[in-house]
Amino acid sequence: MNNISQFSPWVRQIINWVVTVGSVILCLMVLPARLPGMELLGIAPNWLLIWVVAWSIKRTALQGALAGLALGLIQDGMTSPQPTHVLSLALVGVLTARIQKQRYIQEDFISVALIVFGMAVVGETVTAIQYSFIGDRNLAEIWTDHQRIALSSAILSSLWAPVVYYPLNRWWEQINLIDQSN
Amino acid sequence: MFILRRWWDRNGVAIVLGGLTLSAAWLVRQSQGTALFEAYQLMTRPFQSGPTQEERLTDARVLELKQQLVELESQNQKLKELLDYGKTQKQQGIVAPVVGRSADHWWQQVTLGRGSQEGIKVGFVVMGPGGLVGRVISVTQNTSRVLLISDSTSKVGAVISRSRSMGFMRGQGSNRAVLQFFDKVPDVRRGDVVSTSPVSKLFPSGLPLGRVESVNLDKSPAPEAVIELTAPISYLEWVIVYPE
Repeated sequence: MNNISQFSPWVRQIINWVVTVGSVILCLMVLPARLPGMELLGIAPNWLLIWVVAWSIKRTALQGALAGLALGLIQDGMTSPQPTHVLSLALVGVLTARIQKQRYIQEDFISVALIVFGMAVVGETVTAIQYSFIGDRNLAEIWTDHQRIALSSAILSSLWAPVVYYPLNRWWEQINLIDQSN
Repeated sequence: MFILRRWWDRNGVAIVLGGLTLSAAWLVRQSQGTALFEAYQLMTRPFQSGPTQEERLTDARVLELKQQLVELESQNQKLKELLDYGKTQKQQGIVAPVVGRSADHWWQQVTLGRGSQEGIKVGFVVMGPGGLVGRVISVTQNTSRVLLISDSTSKVGAVISRSRSMGFMRGQGSNRAVLQFFDKVPDVRRGDVVSTSPVSKLFPSGLPLGRVESVNLDKSPAPEAVIELTAPISYLEWVIVYPE
């Protein structure tokens, strides 16, 4: 960490971006994998959602929405553009930023897990609503699927959230500290 | 002008970076995540194992049945030729490992570790142990994405092998599917074998799908049957890809 503060602000900025983009790529790489112990009823944690929450928690709503937009577009490419993942992830970004956690709660681990739990349910609900409008699936089926998917994805994502949140948050905090001290 | 300049000095970097991020994301979306799946394939390659010795040693009974099947198939082929039944020779398939699952929870997809380099194209039929598994929907150089028949958007023309009652099958996630019949009173019983129908445009006819688990003849608008798929969709490790 100390060596980073020696670099010029520009180089630091670039390193920061490489780390951030690298973490996104890591999340994208585990997305299609089903590692043992990471699966519940065939459903894996929603890594992109965890990333968006980790990103937005100490940022503005606009930044949260942008992150959701970018990751949503990528996930659309990896599965199917209809229904789009942009809406759910962008909404998650905005809502997480609007909570303004750091103003009310100092503690990190459990509150982040809770936020991810709630956001996973919100995200899957947005998808289910989109499916209901598209109408190529049976309504009853969509909402029984929704129950199953939302619950297992929320449980798993909230349990795995610290894995993404803790290192990323620490990194961004350090970078911020250095930026402010200079 | 000065205000604009100052505004740009303050927000320029953020705007440029945001723009770059968004355009990169858009690029990934338009390319169907090609680069990502290639990278995924590259990273998971060391962890992909070949079939174990146990799997190689299929028991004698299965081999015997297979040989009988080959014999019957060739007889069938001969008879069809005698009848001038227009059907080509069965083609050689491409064996592919399953390296990944769907990248979100709503789709039933798998990623295969073989792609256009091995000759796989969009629309190819994917078979697993036990029967039909799905259809290739996108291909990169070394990977291909398969929409499974257990997905609720994939519709397969199906027929009851015993009575030739036809219908179409919709997936229901995991290993169940619902067969909706065209007839008002189809001849169907519990335990009947279901295979792809000869009128299906996407799949060749006669591929095994599953067995009838329960029948609901009162269902409106058309009678329905719940099918238990014979292919172990949730545990697929290797599949064979056939040209259409």
